Amino acid sequence: MSLATATDPRRHPASAPEPRRHLEIAPSRAQRRARPRLKYVLVTMGGIGVILLAQLLLSIWIADGAYQVHSLQSEQTQLQRTQRALGEQLDQLGSPQSIAQSAEQLGMVQSGNPAYLDLKTGAVTGTPSAGDTGLIAGTGDLVPNSLVASGGVQLDQTASTDTGANAGNTASGGASSTTASSPDDSVIASPTTH
Amino acid sequence: MNLRRRTGRRLAVTVVAVFALLAVFIVRLVDIQVVQAEALTKAAQARQEYTQTIYGARGEIVDTNGVVLAASVDRFDITASPQIAKADGYEFTRTAKNGDKQTINLQDSVQELADATGGDPQKMYQAIIGKPDADFAYLVKQVTLAQYQKVKALGIPWVYAALDPARSYPNGAVGANLIGAMGTDGPLAGIELAENSCLAGSNGAETYNSSANGVPIPGSTVTTKPAVDGGTIKLTIDKDLQWFAQQDVAQQVQATGAEWGTAMVVRISDGHIMAAADYGTGDPNDLEHATSGSFTSRIFTQPYEPGSVMKPATVAGLIQAGKITPSTPVDVPSRFTDGLPKGVTITDSFYHGDLHLTAAGVIMDSSNIGIAELTKLDTFQNRWQNLHDFGFGQKTAVGFYGELAGTLRNPTDSVTQITQQFGQGMTATSAQIAQLYQTLGNDGTRMPLTLVEGCTKADGTVVDTPSTQGTRVVSASTAQQVRSMMETVYQEGPSSKYLQIPGYNIAAKTGTAQVADPATGKYAKGQYIVSVAGLVPADKPQYAVVLTLAKPKGVTSSVAAAPGWKALTEQVIKAYRVPASTGAPSLPPVTW
Repeated sequence: MSLATATDPRRHPASAPEPRRHLEIAPSRAQRRARPRLKYVLVTMGGIGVILLAQLLLSIWIADGAYQVHSLQSEQTQLQRTQRALGEQLDQLGSPQSIAQSAEQLGMVQSGNPAYLDLKTGAVTGTPSAGDTGLIAGTGDLVPNSLVASGGVQLDQTASTDTGANAGNTASGGASSTTASSPDDSVIASPTTH
Repeated sequence: MNLRRRTGRRLAVTVVAVFALLAVFIVRLVDIQVVQAEALTKAAQARQEYTQTIYGARGEIVDTNGVVLAASVDRFDITASPQIAKADGYEFTRTAKNGDKQTINLQDSVQELADATGGDPQKMYQAIIGKPDADFAYLVKQVTLAQYQKVKALGIPWVYAALDPARSYPNGAVGANLIGAMGTDGPLAGIELAENSCLAGSNGAETYNSSANGVPIPGSTVTTKPAVDGGTIKLTIDKDLQWFAQQDVAQQVQATGAEWGTAMVVRISDGHIMAAADYGTGDPNDLEHATSGSFTSRIFTQPYEPGSVMKPATVAGLIQAGKITPSTPVDVPSRFTDGLPKGVTITDSFYHGDLHLTAAGVIMDSSNIGIAELTKLDTFQNRWQNLHDFGFGQKTAVGFYGELAGTLRNPTDSVTQITQQFGQGMTATSAQIAQLYQTLGNDGTRMPLTLVEGCTKADGTVVDTPSTQGTRVVSASTAQQVRSMMETVYQEGPSSKYLQIPGYNIAAKTGTAQVADPATGKYAKGQYIVSVAGLVPADKPQYAVVLTLAKPKGVTSSVAAAPGWKALTEQVIKAYRVPASTGAPSLPPVTW
């Protein structure tokens, strides 16, 4: 197409050889426009470079993320295990044997004959009576539970030492208790007489 | 010319060489990619790919309030690689927090491990030294998380840990007669065994490719087999009441020198067993000290002759048949011989002359002669059918593992035909007795006795829900009349003062049954199975409480069972807030 328009009128095939002059086909406007420009090359190369770089960064990021996921997952496993272990301990603390033992260590006794107070009328139904002894006081706990007996689950030690210290103080007429552990506010000290 | 030929030859040699090389490569390629492909892939995977077990946890067993009775817990096996320990010269260097370096030898290492886990240092030492080239040796099995963390903190390079889930029973022996136990090779008894198909989980597996430092390569994790957690079994029992009942039975058995004892609390409206206690139940956490009776329930598996606690069933049948009312007069002679073979007499537990008792009086005084007189009023077949309808001679709906039906024979001899009506010459389980009282308390409708509320699978679906379809045995009016007769036992009967819970009207019946001696085939002297069954409160019963002691020494009458029954009934009243009765009961006349 472009050749057709580039006809040189001075050129004749029959003409004798003469020193050739450097000739150049003048590009048409369309040709000029169609010619690849450096800009495009740079853009393309740059684009490829950016893509490669992005991919590299992405894989670095993913790999880094994998480590993070791994560490978070192992942390999660650890926390789940801790939660289960604490739940297991809680279940053991909540066992009737543990509760009965703790209650009676605190000096609690079994309630007496059941009776109810009707809040509307103020009337007492049933015949109340005082509590007598603990459930396991005389005979010991006859329903074995090695998880409680093994000492794995015990009442907060500060409670018993605190009570012991108080009882000792009363008996010895208020001896100095500087060495006694600080009383734990959350534990109600058991009365020494009941 | 010469040059061109030389060039051509050189070219040919080169081409041939190139093609030959190419052929070698192709052959090798085919060999690797096709011929050996499978083996090589496998070998590669074995090096890169790690398979990990995902544990499907065994389901929990919970009580009626959802409190855990049996659960899977994390335990860890501490293992070692003797090979690596050997390569390290059996010692390692620990850097303390302040930067001090310390070399720890093998003996100190195992001592530290023993201190952390409670294991035997000598055994651990042997495990490592004994097979120095092994890659794996158990040091101590089944340590807790806290112990495992201590081991980890020691930082011994050749010590490893593996998860090894175990079964734990946080409440120890509470309900272990029903739950059973898990042994090392699977369930041993009770619910653990009977409901294994619900409880058992299945382990899965996943594989992943790992980097040099053990981190899974992203996207490489493949779950080859998903883990399925087991379902949760919900029981009807209440762990606190169950503990109380077990403690109560144990105290009473020990106090009376009895051979065995059982106690049951059944919710009347739906037949749910709130507590079922056996004496001698062991701790499933401690299988070493278990005996053959530790994890089984006599309540379901050991029928015995129940004695007088059967009498309310007999009178219920007679009232239902329209033969008697609570005030029907009965002439009770000092002995009963009518229609019996020569030399056989039926007597009462106490000597008396002719008594003018009503039917209610017969129940109150628990007169065998009175019941024998009453049996004349109806045919044997009808009376047998009545006991059958109350569920005797058939297994309960619980379907406990190893449950027995007891025997309610269809005897031809005239003696058994009568004694059966007061609980001798027939056998029943404690569960069947409790079921009888549930029926009487529930206005004559027997609800299926229930121990398992259902199985909740891991995906939340609930299966194995028990039937709630009741069976009418006698009419509401009949049941109500029988309860009024039983109220006389509690209010005025011979053992009344041992049963009193002030403020509460209760329908009760005592039993003192003779025990057959298998050696002689006769009833053993001075040996009785004593029981008290009660419905609280009498006017609108909510709970049936039955306590049985076998062969108590000293006091051998039902009075022996009274303190235990009373304590348990009081506990039921407190635990479930059973309101006190208002006003005195209207009792039927007991004499005429």
